[in-house]
Amino acid sequence: MTRKRKDGALNFLTYLSSAIGVLILGSILLYLVVTGASSINWHLLSSDYYAETGNAAVSETYTYTAPGSYSGEGYYSDTWGIAFNDVSTAHGDDEIAVVYVDPNSPFASLYSTVAGDDNAAVTLSEGSIVSNIYYLDANGESVFLSRGGMENAENLVNILEENATGIVSINYETLGGGIRGSIVVTLYLILISLLISLPIGIGAAIYLHEYAAKTKINSLIRQGIDTLTGVPSIVYGLMGVTVLFPVTQMVGANSTSVLLGGLTLAIILLPTIISSTEEALIVVPQSLRDGSLSLGATKSQTIFKVVLPCAVNGILTGVLLGIGRVIGESAALVYTTSTVISDNPTLLSQGTSLALMIWSIMSGEQPNYELASAISLIILVIVFVINFVVKLIGKRFARSFM
Amino acid sequence: MFANSKRIKRNKTIDKVFRYLFMGMAVLSASFIIIIVAFVCIKGISPFLPGYEFGQVDLWSFLTGSVYRQDTATYGVGFIIINTLICSFLALLLSFPISVLTSLFIAKIAPKKLGAAMQSVIELLASVPSVVYGIFASGVITAMVRSLAASLGIATFGGSSLLAVIILLAIMIFPTLTSMSITAIKAVDKDLESASLALGATKTQTNFKVVLTAAKSGIFAGAILGLGRAFGEATAVSMVAGNKLFGPTFDLFDITRTLTSTMLTGLKETSGLDYDIRFSVGLVLIVVIFASNWILNQVKKRIGNQV
Repeated sequence: MTRKRKDGALNFLTYLSSAIGVLILGSILLYLVVTGASSINWHLLSSDYYAETGNAAVSETYTYTAPGSYSGEGYYSDTWGIAFNDVSTAHGDDEIAVVYVDPNSPFASLYSTVAGDDNAAVTLSEGSIVSNIYYLDANGESVFLSRGGMENAENLVNILEENATGIVSINYETLGGGIRGSIVVTLYLILISLLISLPIGIGAAIYLHEYAAKTKINSLIRQGIDTLTGVPSIVYGLMGVTVLFPVTQMVGANSTSVLLGGLTLAIILLPTIISSTEEALIVVPQSLRDGSLSLGATKSQTIFKVVLPCAVNGILTGVLLGIGRVIGESAALVYTTSTVISDNPTLLSQGTSLALMIWSIMSGEQPNYELASAISLIILVIVFVINFVVKLIGKRFARSFM
Repeated sequence: MFANSKRIKRNKTIDKVFRYLFMGMAVLSASFIIIIVAFVCIKGISPFLPGYEFGQVDLWSFLTGSVYRQDTATYGVGFIIINTLICSFLALLLSFPISVLTSLFIAKIAPKKLGAAMQSVIELLASVPSVVYGIFASGVITAMVRSLAASLGIATFGGSSLLAVIILLAIMIFPTLTSMSITAIKAVDKDLESASLALGATKTQTNFKVVLTAAKSGIFAGAILGLGRAFGEATAVSMVAGNKLFGPTFDLFDITRTLTSTMLTGLKETSGLDYDIRFSVGLVLIVVIFASNWILNQVKKRIGNQV
């Protein structure tokens, strides 16, 4: 009886420990969803991070044509073809935002009056916050409508409908807080790092599994690659900025850059690519190689036409795991791509990946938990999908040679 | 005949070219570890050499110092090394029993479907990026620490504390520890279990006394790996460490500073002593990781021999 009770208690402990693991994963997801889910929308994905103020006037070539109808959210001015809505910003201020601009609206043919913009045409993007508007009254005189005078979106539309006979100009502020630039950087990083680490990693795996005899040098090579997995990513960052920076300088980079980050990540990915390729090579039956060789194919022909096609699952797994690693990597990139969030990143400019952007907005003076959680959710969804697909490939793969 | 032998010769050359190409790639991959250590060494040692352009730093006071301030250019990492060791070992201590029990649950005790589901949970936890853990830590763990401290009547720096770092690291190394012990437990010889059961031990007794003992060496290897991760974890830790200027920190509710958080915070310029000294800190980190790995592997050998 006491034995039974003791066993039950011990078993209960293992259940309890497992529950802790589930609890942790659950609370991470719950926290992120509660804080971040409401911020995820198209605007977040498609717009710039930095808010910009704009000053735009209606083009002189614009002639009034009646705008079409609109039945979406917000308050629509039939006369001027623009819809506004009341919004509350991330800082908690109540503002009026543009939600729709009809193509025939005067607000659709604006040019910038900001000095230095050379009267370039601008579009009033949806989500822009209205600061003030100049309109023409019944006497044809320009009237200044301040933010305070608008009160709210409904009142603003009423004023424009009842008092205005023409639109002169508008002052607005784009919303900002978007992650488009970081998405672009992340894609760049994935592309560069895989482009470099894939051929090298696959080649190394082929050598280790298909060629390498059990010599001291080869076991040293293997040990070196194994040790790479234990190096903390921040140390990779230090290496990148010293060893690889001169390489990027040769192609014209004069500061840390997205390219440098990609090169550093390529080295971080090497062990992953090598080990998943090699695992796939191990599973390829020796009889296939023997068959190919005995039919007169050379060793390289056998490798490229028989062995590698069979190992393609493993390579794909390596690619997916690599993408996951790039998306989640942050410490190595702090030193190599810098923590400056960029809206228009290029290969040779600084910028942040999604994960690094989180670090950047969290380590600032006022951490923005909503935005950080929203980005985390996006990252987690991608990483979890990758995880799922890798498992799926593994299952199919295990069956294929049975 | 002549054409044929020519083709064979050409094929042989192609074979040779590819052989050396693949070998070159393998050597290149392996040499990165040497490149990493060498260049971090060169750059990390430079501030201590005479003739260093921003003013030579005394190596001894760097290694034993108990103050690290960017504003006064006082760089001592002695207390930071101790902090890093404290954080990582306490995190391991916290995470180890839970992960061993969880792995026993997954590998031996749980019904098949529940075990597979639990394994997926561990895999998902392993794939969560470090920054995401960082947000969770600064949003949730610090709040927990804050309320715990408040109930004890202790003031904290917004929850950023040694305790928060320990809990965070324990969570982060949990998947590593667990999956390593699962592998070790699954590798235990079935005959051992059968023998134990045949001698009249219950299933649970066998699991806890025989299986865990036989898997000891593999579980220990997981602990070494987890500890390495804890030492090198950077972004998440620096979100909740608080970066104390002096130390070492022994109070659980006081802010602390680890080697990695030192390397990450306040990074603004990309030249000068404050930048270069980060490489020295990185070098210290590498040495700490290698040294602890080596020592623990010696310990592991001893433990392994006892079975």
